[in-house]
This record gives sequence, C-alpha cells and structure tokens, in this order.
Amino acid sequence: MKLFIVHLFYVTMAVCVAVIGKDNSPLYIGGIGNDTNTDNELSRQWLVHTALDALEERLASNNSNTTGANTNNTRTDLRDLYLGLLYSTDTHKIYGYVTNTRIKLVLVTSSTSPSGSNIRDAEVRTALRRLHALYADAICNPFHLPGDQITSSKFDKQVKNLMLNNV
Amino acid sequence: MADDILFDLLHSEIINYALEQSKENGNKKEVDLSIVEYIGFAAGYKIMERLTREWPRFKDELDTMKFICTDFWTCIYKKQIDNLRTNHQGVYVLQDNGFRFLTNFSNGHQYLEFAPRFVAYTCGLIRGGLANLCINSVVTAEVQSMPSCKFHIHVQRTFALTSVWPSTGSDRSVETSCDQLCGKDPFFGEIIAAKSTSPTSTHLFKAEQFTSVQPRK
Repeated sequence: MKLFIVHLFYVTMAVCVAVIGKDNSPLYIGGIGNDTNTDNELSRQWLVHTALDALEERLASNNSNTTGANTNNTRTDLRDLYLGLLYSTDTHKIYGYVTNTRIKLVLVTSSTSPSGSNIRDAEVRTALRRLHALYADAICNPFHLPGDQITSSKFDKQVKNLMLNNV
Repeated sequence: MADDILFDLLHSEIINYALEQSKENGNKKEVDLSIVEYIGFAAGYKIMERLTREWPRFKDELDTMKFICTDFWTCIYKKQIDNLRTNHQGVYVLQDNGFRFLTNFSNGHQYLEFAPRFVAYTCGLIRGGLANLCINSVVTAEVQSMPSCKFHIHVQRTFALTSVWPSTGSDRSVETSCDQLCGKDPFFGEIIAAKSTSPTSTHLFKAEQFTSVQPRK
C-alpha cells in the first residue's frame, strides 16, 4: 500500500508545458512538481526558451529537405507535426511539436524523477497531441483573442491533468 | 438537413443586420460589409486550428490552397471547389459552380446586384484561414451568373507589403511589415475588408474598393 502511494506521487509525466505563439511569445507556461528547478516561472521560461533555437533549426532543415530531392521516407517523417526530443540537459528533456499554424508546443520532462527518466517517445507524442486538441478548444473560446496569453482556468486545469496523468 | 439551414439563415440575418447598421451610419449609396468580412475572418482563423490538427505539415503554398479547396470547403459548404487556377505568382482563383449561399436565389441574372453581399463572409473566411497558416492575402469575389462564384486570392508577399498596405502613415506600415516578417498574424492590425459595389456597376469586388477599418477590440 505504501509503495502504491509513493508511486502515485511520482507519476508526473511532464514537469512543464508551454504554448509558444507564432512570434515566439509565450502564450502559456504551466508547471507542476516538487522539482526546485521548475518551481518558479523564470526557470520554466528559461527551460522552454533554450529549446526554441533547436526547434527553429529543425523546422528550417525540414523546409530545405522537402524542397530538395529527398527520399520519400524522410519526407513523410519530416512532415510530422511532432518533432521529437529537441534538447536535453542533465536534469531535463525537452520535446517539441509545431502545428500547421506555427504554434509551438513544448513539453519538459524531468530525467531525475523515476517516471520521467524512462518515458517513451510514443507517450510524449500522445501527450502533445492531446495538448494540441486542448489548445484548439481554447482558441475557439470567444473571449480569447488570438495572440493573447491564454488565461482560461479551464485550459490550465486540463493541462495540469494532462501533465499528472501520465496519459 | 436542419443543421445546414441554421447556418444559412444565421448568415443571411447577419447580412441584414450589417445592412441596417450601415444605413444607420448614413451610408446611402454604398453598403458597408466590412463587419461581415471581419466576422468571417475571425471564424476562419479559429476553425483552421481545428481542421489542420490531424494534417501533416503543408509543403508549400499550393499545398495549402489545395487544402482550402478540398477539406476546408467540404467542412463549411459540404462540397469541394470545382476549379482551382493559379498563375504560380501568388494569385489563385477558386471557382465554385454552385455556391451554397447563392443556389437558392436564381439560375441566372436575377438578384445579381445583391450577390456581393452574400460572398463577403466567405471572403473573410478564406482570408482568416490563410492568415492563421501565415499566408497574408487579399480575397475578392466575382459573381457573373448566379449560382457560380469565383474567389480571387492575392497572396501578399512580405517584401511587397508596405506598398500594398493602405497608406495610413509611414510608421504604421513599417510596424506592420515587421510583424509580418516575424510571422505575427495581423489580427490586431488593420483588417482589410470589402465593400460591395453599387448595383449599377459591374458585380465585382476589386482591390481598389478595399478599404481599411479598425477592428473591434
């Protein structure tokens, strides 16, 4: 029983999730966990922004590859919205996802916690796809103007759930 | 289908409302449909996020236009565009031979003078959808014979933007072009909107007749 509780405590898949707009301005940055590195807003922003360069680079190489002659296999791979692992530090791993509308979704997992260190690529992919669905719903809220920060508490709650549930 | 007719009726009531508003503002000759175009823009912008969710990344502009012709159009009008033409330099012509908002009116030239009112929303819809996909454009429509309608999409390249944008002071246009370069959407910038032509003239939306209005905040 005790073991079960400990397990529940650590079942946090992501420690931080961010939605970045078309002009690289943060629309939403949310974080959870007992990790001191992700507890304050500033370090969260820093974590997410370190990944943006890698993300842009990945997108740029996508474009050059699709225009040039390339094998069919890599092309389909590069047209995927999910970009995979962008950047990893000693403590965190940062995954990226760019929608067709150039909205960047970034997910940070902690490699020090037991559940975060052995996370599978497919899990991150589904989590980011679900985040995309949540974002699309948040955009359709008539009180939200595109380009503004997402202040909806419903969205916040749903994203926190997504981070906790380990999908 | 009951759900289809709801959209049609709501659309025609929005146009009636916009006509009343422009009459109150003292616009006797011209009908100001910029608000309808703006409503279309906002709807198109938001629906695009949903529609492209399961879609792989678009290869290029033509790929995007094909998406507009097939999936986007099917989603809204339950049919595909009948003909897509382009000059490969940023001008696209989308032809719909049985445009949904016009099919109930006539099969010829009757009521032709009212046709421009019923295409303004769709112009905005296309423009909003493209704006969210980072393609800035001017969309105009042309109705020559009733159920068929042509939509002209002029894609605004970033380098040509300052010259195309309506002159509202030099600093404004520079600011807008910077926004375009970094990929920011012009949602808070100026909305380019169509005014319908007067009934006596030819029934075209032309680029010269585009005016700028301040969007609601």
